[in-house]
Amino acid sequence: MAPDSREPKPSISEARVRLLGMAIALSFCLLAGRLWILQVIRGPEFLGKSESNRLRIERLESPRGAIYARRGPVQDVVLADNRAARDLMVVPADITISDAALCRRLGELTGIDPKKIEAQITKARKAREPFKQILVRGDIPAAVSARVDEYAYALPGVFTAVRPLRRYVYGKTAGQVLGYLGEINPEELETRQDRYNMGDLIGRGGLEGRHEDRLHGEDGRMMVTKFAAGTPQLRTDPYGNPYIENLVDSLGHSLSVEEEVQKARPGGDIYLTLDIGLQATAERLLEGEHGAIAVLNAETGEILALASAPGYDPAVFVSDTGSRERVSILQGKPNRMLHRAYQEVYAPGSVFKVMLASAALEEGVITRDTKFYCPGLFRLDANGRAWHCWRRQGHGQVNVVDALAFSCDVFFYNVGLELGVDKIGKWAKKFGLGVQTGIDLPGEAAGSIPSRESKEASNKPGHEEEPWVYRWYPGDTVNLSIGQGEATVTPLQNAVMMAAIANGGHLIVPHLDRESAPARSEKFLSDRTLTIVREGMRKCVEKGPPAPTGTGREAYIEGFEILGKTGSAQMVSLSQYEHYKDEADIPKELRDHAWFVAGVLDHEPKLAVCILVEHGHHGSSEAAPRMRDIVNGFYESWGKTPVLAAAADGEAGAR
Amino acid sequence: MRMPGAKKNEIGIRIFSLWNLRHLDPLLALLVISLAVYGLFVLYSAGRSEFSPTPYYVKQSIFFLMGCGIALFISCVDYRSLISLAPAAYGIFLCLLAAVLVVGDEIKGSRRWLDLGPIGFQPSESTKLVMVFTLAWYLTLLGRRIEKLPYFLLTFALIGVPGVMIFKQPDLGTSAVLGPIAVAMLFVAGCRVWHLAGMVMLGLGVLPIAWSHMKDYQKQRVMTLFDPSADPQGSGYHTIQSMITVGSGGLNGKGYLHGTQTYLSYLPEHHTDFIFSQLAEEFGFVGGCAALALFLCLFWRALYIARTAADPSGSLVAVGCVTLLAFHVFVNTSITIGVLPVTGIPLPFFSYGGTFYLTTMSCIGVILSVNARRSVPGQSGRPLVLSPARQGVT
Repeated sequence: MAPDSREPKPSISEARVRLLGMAIALSFCLLAGRLWILQVIRGPEFLGKSESNRLRIERLESPRGAIYARRGPVQDVVLADNRAARDLMVVPADITISDAALCRRLGELTGIDPKKIEAQITKARKAREPFKQILVRGDIPAAVSARVDEYAYALPGVFTAVRPLRRYVYGKTAGQVLGYLGEINPEELETRQDRYNMGDLIGRGGLEGRHEDRLHGEDGRMMVTKFAAGTPQLRTDPYGNPYIENLVDSLGHSLSVEEEVQKARPGGDIYLTLDIGLQATAERLLEGEHGAIAVLNAETGEILALASAPGYDPAVFVSDTGSRERVSILQGKPNRMLHRAYQEVYAPGSVFKVMLASAALEEGVITRDTKFYCPGLFRLDANGRAWHCWRRQGHGQVNVVDALAFSCDVFFYNVGLELGVDKIGKWAKKFGLGVQTGIDLPGEAAGSIPSRESKEASNKPGHEEEPWVYRWYPGDTVNLSIGQGEATVTPLQNAVMMAAIANGGHLIVPHLDRESAPARSEKFLSDRTLTIVREGMRKCVEKGPPAPTGTGREAYIEGFEILGKTGSAQMVSLSQYEHYKDEADIPKELRDHAWFVAGVLDHEPKLAVCILVEHGHHGSSEAAPRMRDIVNGFYESWGKTPVLAAAADGEAGAR
Repeated sequence: MRMPGAKKNEIGIRIFSLWNLRHLDPLLALLVISLAVYGLFVLYSAGRSEFSPTPYYVKQSIFFLMGCGIALFISCVDYRSLISLAPAAYGIFLCLLAAVLVVGDEIKGSRRWLDLGPIGFQPSESTKLVMVFTLAWYLTLLGRRIEKLPYFLLTFALIGVPGVMIFKQPDLGTSAVLGPIAVAMLFVAGCRVWHLAGMVMLGLGVLPIAWSHMKDYQKQRVMTLFDPSADPQGSGYHTIQSMITVGSGGLNGKGYLHGTQTYLSYLPEHHTDFIFSQLAEEFGFVGGCAALALFLCLFWRALYIARTAADPSGSLVAVGCVTLLAFHVFVNTSITIGVLPVTGIPLPFFSYGGTFYLTTMSCIGVILSVNARRSVPGQSGRPLVLSPARQGVT
């Protein structure tokens, strides 16, 4: 039994076999230790990683609320909603053929430069993001999308994704009222992170901007189990809402949806008071001009049309191809972003006289029978500067009714002086002139009616040694009396003033949202005053004989009782174009702005209209004729419902 | 406690004896069957995400049954006759490996297969076992002379030639197995420890040279180990995903058939080289340790058989087979838990694949054969608690 160490046998050492066994046991213990570290100590961390591997949060984009206008009193029409835009996408990791071959095929099918696509793919690969979905081209035409789907087998890694895209059904019509959408910027995102993601569109300007919170819905989310290869293919209905059933990924694995799906909550719809027919008419009337038209329901302040020219099509801002057009709109001259009805101010011109006449009557400065003599010009003192009446030969003896009908400047120079600048300011404010109307649109301009204080306040530090320059002089009052000088208003303010005349002396708040309750002030004009002012404005539109015809005669329509007042806001002092012999020779940019404010009193609903044509020269010839189309067009679709005589403020007798 | 040489004639050499089946070690058999069944369960889960007409676990069951047949057959064969055939087999395999390098079929960038008409043959796989027998033959022949340095060094020449040829294929994993087998067998055969230590040091010194001969993808894999996140979609992908898979299993696992990393294909090769990750994901730390414990019991038992073998050659082949299997288990699991770079080393009994399954079962067969010879009358080993030899002795 004794081991014979002389024999040439290997001496198998039991101890060494044991040692070998222990070595194996020790190494296995190390493995177990490593397993403990990975699975127990770092287990939660890796579990999180595996869950984030497995679970992918799919965002369910909420459709933006729609914006409706109306056609006639009852029918709603959609102005802005969402359509399904198809995006051409490619995922580099899923490309099983050579990039060049894929890009060539894609280029042939879609007409996109293959080199550009390849560059994008290469970039993603270099950034180690082969699973990134690269947007090759957004909003491809349906025909191209169908072709890509058809050749899907030859285009590994390529797919089309559907997303809701804003659609403006009427294009340019009401474009500026709607506003537009733009990508959210990082600063905005910071304060709205709960509801927005990078790259989301957010309303800018117009209704889209004003009602952003209401229109923007809440995105939903769902957790999808995702296979390592393949991308979940969310299918969407024609409005871009994803289907949740029968989810598959790009490799055909069926995917399960984890947890409860948080459905997207669509944005709220907005119903406008705007009448799309009237809006289109108003925009057509301004075609080729710069100007604005505001049409209000005089009783409620509902905005029936709010046109501005030149305008833009908001679809340009959401299209993937419109970047050049976008730049030209944003930077170009004239400013197409500006809504001239409420964001731009103009001298009110003779339209101001409506306010002035009412104020003078209310203050008792004049009565219906107060007359002033108009020789064609007006001087404060015998040797002073002469203020002309627009009618150089003069109007003779005029009372307030005729002064309104024929727009006698001299009459109002006198009235204005007697009233004084402070009372003019007080009454302008009562009529809503020079102050914001409170329209439910962003960026409203206020305009201003000059006063002693405002003139003094305009004293800049450099001119302090000449305080007399900034004192209010009677001449300033004369200028203000016919709406010239420093006075500026928006066309919408003029429409609001007109509405007060038409509705019996209430200041209304113009609004577009049908849900907002009509707000109107206490009656601030007496019926007596109203009767007189209306008489003057009616006479302004009336076509003679027997009376001489008024300045607004071009707006006359048989069968309608129309009140009107023309206006021409001087751009430059008369001397600058006095040397032109013929009016047609005056350069357009020097011509006056043409105003016409009007009301329709004998039909439901009562209208208050303001028309402005920039450099139209004469309210009577440029602005007033446009009134006819507005009135005819409007009552054609709304029906000619005469106002009951009893409700017509008892002015029938005044006629 | 050595085998007395005088008894050798009494034992005699019977090349094939069905009698051996009576001396089947029940503990070893139980451990093998446990591991195989465990492996099939895991493979069933691992194969779910693959679309295959015949599921992996069905094929693997067939491999297992074939393997059982081979193991039983080998257990009936006298390992000493196999050892005596080793020099010839060694020569043949050197030729085959040379043939592979010249005319082998290239798959995925490496030449490993020899096209033999209808079937493919991978000589490097069998080379492992041939080397175990060759070394056993050589070390038995040398006896105590192994303590002398030249003979010691010659051992490494023996494994070096096929080792380099396999490395050239390139098949880093297989060539790496040969080293530990030689080291373990030399150690057990009684070489001088400082020889071995010096050799291991030298081997580590050679690593830079090996590095310079490595293919780029192999280098990348090694680099990845130190910083898997450097290339998360590329070479680091396997390591990262495997660590996530294993780690996410936690203490108790995600539950059978509830693995997500593997089912959703985040971890490729989860039915072959990375099946341990699948196991660890679904059965957790507990399941992973259970598998390791089963392996450890198996090796412990096999080493016991080696220790008490009828003769030194039996000890040597048993030790060689244990080392072969243990090395696979250790390296494979180390890869899945992000300790070693990714190389194609399968996990015995778990990884899907016929060739390696048969190699594994052959090793078991050899160990059983050693065990069977141990129990013949006159055997001087210690009485076994579970072995039928006990009755023979008393």
